[in-house]
Amino acid sequence: MNHVQIVEIERITKRFAGHLAVSDLSLSVPRGVVFGLLGPNGAGKTTTIRMVMNIIIPDEGVVRLFGDGLGGRHHSARIGYLPEERGLYKKMRVHDVLTFLAEAKGVARASAARKADEWLERLDLASWRLRKVEELSKGMQQKVQFIATMLHEPELLILDEPFAGLDPINAQALKDVIVELSRAGSTIIFSTHQMDVAEKICDHVCIIAKGSKVLDGRLADVKQVHGGTHVAVAFDCGEDLALPVLRDRSLVAKADDYGPFAELALAEGASPHVLLERLVGSGARLRRFERVEPSLHRIFLDRVGAAGAEEVGHA
Amino acid sequence: MRKVWAVVRREFLERVRTRWFLISTVLGPVFMIAITVLPTVLAARSGGTRSVAVVDQAGGSLGERLVAQLGTGNRFDAALVRVDSGSASSAQDSLTRLVRLKHLDGFLVVTPATVESGSAEYRGRNVSSLRDMALIESVIRQVVVVERLTRSGIDPALVQEAQSRIDLHTLRITKGGATGETGEATFALAYIVGFVLYMAIFLYAVNVMRSVIDEKQTRIIEVLVSSMRPFQLMLGKVIGVGGVGLFQFLIWGGAAALLFRYRQAVFTVLGVPPEQAAQIQLPPIGGDLVLLVIACFVLGYVLYSALFAVVGASVNTEAEAQQAQMPVTMLLVAAIMVFPMVLNDPSGSTAVAMGLIPYFSPIILPIRFATSEIPIDEVALSLAILAVSTLAVVWIAGRIYRVGILMYGKRPTFAEMLRWAREP
Repeated sequence: MNHVQIVEIERITKRFAGHLAVSDLSLSVPRGVVFGLLGPNGAGKTTTIRMVMNIIIPDEGVVRLFGDGLGGRHHSARIGYLPEERGLYKKMRVHDVLTFLAEAKGVARASAARKADEWLERLDLASWRLRKVEELSKGMQQKVQFIATMLHEPELLILDEPFAGLDPINAQALKDVIVELSRAGSTIIFSTHQMDVAEKICDHVCIIAKGSKVLDGRLADVKQVHGGTHVAVAFDCGEDLALPVLRDRSLVAKADDYGPFAELALAEGASPHVLLERLVGSGARLRRFERVEPSLHRIFLDRVGAAGAEEVGHA
Repeated sequence: MRKVWAVVRREFLERVRTRWFLISTVLGPVFMIAITVLPTVLAARSGGTRSVAVVDQAGGSLGERLVAQLGTGNRFDAALVRVDSGSASSAQDSLTRLVRLKHLDGFLVVTPATVESGSAEYRGRNVSSLRDMALIESVIRQVVVVERLTRSGIDPALVQEAQSRIDLHTLRITKGGATGETGEATFALAYIVGFVLYMAIFLYAVNVMRSVIDEKQTRIIEVLVSSMRPFQLMLGKVIGVGGVGLFQFLIWGGAAALLFRYRQAVFTVLGVPPEQAAQIQLPPIGGDLVLLVIACFVLGYVLYSALFAVVGASVNTEAEAQQAQMPVTMLLVAAIMVFPMVLNDPSGSTAVAMGLIPYFSPIILPIRFATSEIPIDEVALSLAILAVSTLAVVWIAGRIYRVGILMYGKRPTFAEMLRWAREP
């Protein structure tokens, strides 16, 4: 029961009509982490999640959940799954939908009904419990969907692109719930291609592209391993004067201009002190000069690069 | 099992709560009565006696005999108009006017040719009443025969006696002896049984298809199949929707039993005089027939709902389903097409064969059972074939369904669906 690895994926491969969706992928998700499955559209995130959930069967390889190979369906009462494509029974009453979906996962009816009420109360939907789903606004329907995913207080939450299509208020509410559940001991896996979200809440990340793993590990480790020295700079004026310095390949390996500031990856062996001196000497007026960890976004672009980008649009 | 039960419960309750269920439960019997009883009632009601004129251009006794013969039933009130060939057309004109003014329902024109070649003419407001026209025709035939025989010198009294009316009273004989059940009542019963089975199997099986499409369209299917096997889901759906059908039968059966028990009170309320009420003949419905109908509904419904579930799983929208369901619907319609043939000759080779083919037997077998004595082992064979094929179809359908519910986009071909069924 207290198996350390909640999810273990061993060398799974899935082909669709000749197209390789997931290729020889291995992953393990330790208990209690927030795990980000990152990748461009069409990288194989949803296919991987569906194989974990037992919806499709891998052509090769094994998925183990909670230390056994019985599959997602067997453990459905311990898992909360939010698919990428959302939907509810439109004609059913809110409370009935929630009770039914929990029952379908193997939760006893009475307990499902009680928990549905608790959650509706908590997310300010109590007065809507006997209304039909189709009478609710889109935002409210999204909330009902989250409740359906989490109602049975699962040990493992699997969320496929949970932030897609959310308004800022619901996105914040979802983030709060995820953090709270994580503190309470749940393991959370979610897929996204929004690096800023992942950077804020993930302990672990795995980047996949074209169906294969690119990198995998604790976020802090990934940043360290990705290595190099990164500096964020911003100018008040005189940026033009600094350009020759920024283009000096012996000093700056790569520069990402984000507008208000730029993230610089220093060349191997180059010292930030030298860079600062040169910039000051150039006559440009610096507003910010800060050593930073590489952003996940930067790492993602570096590692996935053009190889992953060409997959975009194939999703 | 708990998961299957959750699906059964949802499908059942969500349907029973709808307005559709209420309306179909109330209006179902009304509709059945309307299509079976109403035509008879209307035909009998439509009008007491018809006043007709017999225009006799022949001279002789033909016209008189026709008037007398038409008057014997209570249907026609006939008057004789003798004309010679010169004034024939003006007489017809004035009679036509009378018909238009509704003083007369119609008139029959007989000429010398009527006796020789048997041709006569009837003109009237309503010539589509098959019963009336058949009556007039038989009267003419009778009278013409008498006239012809008389002309060849046979004693009219003798002819009249030879013509005495024959009334064939049909009674059904079963192993238990004569049943006292009339041919008409048996026919009506078989008709109702066949039609109710057809409607119920079709409507509820289509409901299963709708439910499959709904889950696919709202994408809720993905959450469901991550919690239970697709086959459990399909099973729950088929049982839940079928339960609604059985529940509806139960309501109808209960209501009919109550009506029958308190029929005297009902007749009093409706103001039906007791002697007329006594004449109303109810087809005797045996317990064995009820059991057979229920067995056929259950097996036939499961068979067809599995097929319709496959249709639902293979399409993306209800609109696509309209077209995709054609082959399955045709199977059911074929059973309805041979319906009259089976009623006419319930022991004929067509009826026997159709009663054995699983796609038709759920409807044909009870019709045969209601209309004729069929050996019990033949019934057992039919049901066994039906049950085995239903299991096979459900198994194959479940395998296609499993793949289809997660497929979106282009509709699969028949060959592709077969390949899905073979996938591990």
